[in-house]
Amino acid sequence: MITETEVDGVPTLVAPHAGQMHAGLVFRVGYADEVLARAGITHLIEHLALFRTGQADYHYNGRTAAAYTEFHLRGSERDVVAFLTGVCEALTALPLDRLEIERQVLLTEESGQSLTPAHLLAPWRYGARGYGLPGYLEYGVPVVTPDEVVHWTRTWFTKENAALWIAGDGVPAGLRLPLPTGGRRWAPPVVTSALPTTPAYFSGPLKGAAFDAVVPRGAASMVYSEVLQRELFRELRQASGLSYTTATGYSTTADGTGTVTAIADALPEKQDAVLGGMVDALLTLAVGRIEQSDVDAVKAKGREALSDPEAAAASLSAQAGELLVGRPVRSVEERLASLNEVTVEQVHAVAAEALRTGLLLVPRGHTADWAGYTAAPTTSTTVVQGYVYPVVDDPEDRFHVGAAGVSRVIGEEAATVLYAECAAMLVWPDGGRLLIGFDGMRVAVEPTMIAGDPAVLHQVGAGLPPHLVVRMPPRDPSQIPRPQVPEPAPEPERRLFRRRKGA
Amino acid sequence: MSDGEDALPPAFQRRNHYPELAWFSDATRAGDWPAIAAGFQRLDSWAAASVASSRVGDVPGAEVFLRQVVAREPSALSATLLGSALISAGWRIRTSKAAEHVSREQFEALHEHLREAEQALMGVTARDPRAVMAWEDRLTTAMGLQLGLAEARRRYDRLARIEPHHYIAQSALTQQLCPKWGGSWEALFQFVRERAAAAPPGGLHGALVATAHLEYWARADGEEADASLKRAQPEVWAAAQRSVLHPSFRPEPGWIAAFNTFAAFFAFGGAADPAAVFFRGLGPHASTTWWDYLGDGVEMFHAYRTGALGGPR
Repeated sequence: MITETEVDGVPTLVAPHAGQMHAGLVFRVGYADEVLARAGITHLIEHLALFRTGQADYHYNGRTAAAYTEFHLRGSERDVVAFLTGVCEALTALPLDRLEIERQVLLTEESGQSLTPAHLLAPWRYGARGYGLPGYLEYGVPVVTPDEVVHWTRTWFTKENAALWIAGDGVPAGLRLPLPTGGRRWAPPVVTSALPTTPAYFSGPLKGAAFDAVVPRGAASMVYSEVLQRELFRELRQASGLSYTTATGYSTTADGTGTVTAIADALPEKQDAVLGGMVDALLTLAVGRIEQSDVDAVKAKGREALSDPEAAAASLSAQAGELLVGRPVRSVEERLASLNEVTVEQVHAVAAEALRTGLLLVPRGHTADWAGYTAAPTTSTTVVQGYVYPVVDDPEDRFHVGAAGVSRVIGEEAATVLYAECAAMLVWPDGGRLLIGFDGMRVAVEPTMIAGDPAVLHQVGAGLPPHLVVRMPPRDPSQIPRPQVPEPAPEPERRLFRRRKGA
Repeated sequence: MSDGEDALPPAFQRRNHYPELAWFSDATRAGDWPAIAAGFQRLDSWAAASVASSRVGDVPGAEVFLRQVVAREPSALSATLLGSALISAGWRIRTSKAAEHVSREQFEALHEHLREAEQALMGVTARDPRAVMAWEDRLTTAMGLQLGLAEARRRYDRLARIEPHHYIAQSALTQQLCPKWGGSWEALFQFVRERAAAAPPGGLHGALVATAHLEYWARADGEEADASLKRAQPEVWAAAQRSVLHPSFRPEPGWIAAFNTFAAFFAFGGAADPAAVFFRGLGPHASTTWWDYLGDGVEMFHAYRTGALGGPR
């Protein structure tokens, strides 16, 4: 039983829960709302907001996701009141003196993290913006200014853009949410696409295979995800021992669609078979060979979970997110009813849709064109108009620098970033620049590589708005790309000639 | 894979082996789908189905006819035979020449055909995991598309769940297990010995052991090559005793290739008497397989046959 109420003007969901109270404050903001050049700003604010409450010994946490940021705590009513008040006060007046320290904390956190398959898939599906950003480094963390932090907080972390959930006996007495006001409720992030054709594949640094797909939201898609897991487990683990771990997940995005993700790991010498087995499993379900017994078993498991007295409480965090994007709160009974209605035919329809929209991550050195998947783009179809500068060691390799953007063209292949579709430009003190386009394409312009006046570099990206530029710290000289063929000892005249020729 | 077969004497042409299945070629040329479909219903072994599938697929242009059939009345059989026909059509374009004599365009056309075949076949195995013929052809597409050893093995294992003693599929995997296709001698010999030992007596499976030794011989240096064949004679003879020389042996499609392999194994190893047993068993049939390692396959077959039998009979 979920009750809807309001605390201090913030919509609130309450459900009964045995044991200590658990409460969370959710904002409709996350990575997908950021730009690549300022990626991580929400995460940074989440850390700053928790700094004060972090002094006490609470079971508290913060979580920044694609479209939501949440602060939650398990404790006594008094603890909950103190925690939520603390978070609201911190968001009203962020401890900006902590900014440098929290930057370091986040950079350390990032360097210790390994990329999950979902992180690897996101940039290829969505590009370097929106839902693709969780797959990128938090380029913004080292460079955001205090002003930017304050502006971002005022824009997103407001009373109007928040929802509260409480698992416990009701709203604790005296709970206030002193959040900044004057904001607005934000719409879900726009879902972008970097895939001209699906099903698609790309190869990446994963020992095994992974897959994701866009499916309709609903119980049938959740059942599909679980049925797929059973098929993967049976074929890749039980029958053949090719994988140790197979896993699938179903989640919903704020815009109202569903996503199914699957992964199967592999020993290095078995990767081709794990890829083949995953391709076969996806097709098996897509053509409709779905066992009634699998569907029944998944539904039974789902019913069991929903029959748990804690089911309503456990769903509160997700439901608060739904509420923020304007979707109705669903009772356990309603969810149970939709689950019961799922048929094999519905699961078949989801499976077919999953294959149609699928993106497959194949191990390095493999492809999936043989199975009907199209290679995701790794090159651009356009080259900018402008001056052409050869790369010093290769006549087939050149930069095109124009008013609209920059291209690197090697032989017949090009990478282009248009300024109008630029997600970030990284700039190093040595003059090197890396431009990343919304489509994920990268063009690195290096002073050591360009056969021309190094002043050319300063034209690259000169007109980009400052919030798309990331000023990087000095690089170790060994990280600066050099021409591959060692050049003879440079003579001043020779260099001069080169410069003039290229200018 | 009938590339160049027209030039061979009739006894060497694969299409003349197993004459009871020859009419599948005629029916394919005539575009008689009902007859083909009914014919497959009547076959009583996977070996016969495998050879019949080749008879259909090897007819030039069969893929055009079968695409129409698949569009008109899709079924596991029509899609499987389309896969088989596309594999054959791809190999006709590639030709059986050594890779350095095959152009990039020819390889691209082969791969294009193999991808289309694979997609037809994977649809069949997805709908029916017991589709033995489709799994068998997917061993061929896996090899041609270089999908990898573990993937080929996975496909074989899927097939073997349904038919653990499918000699022709085992022969296909035997190729993949050779070092030239990414395997190893160890894996190859382990597989052939296991499968030959596990097979019911009187099958063709002993020839897998002879095949493995001949593959080793073909890659080994002069002295080691000859010595390896001599060393292996007791093992291969015992394998033959358990298979084609066993009292319960009954010829089934594939037997000509199996006898030919035993004959080549013993003839190359200088064991004329055992070789004679298999030459006699072949009767009027012949093959250029293995013999063409030493020169012209037809001439070599006759030369060794004469050597073993003491003159033409």
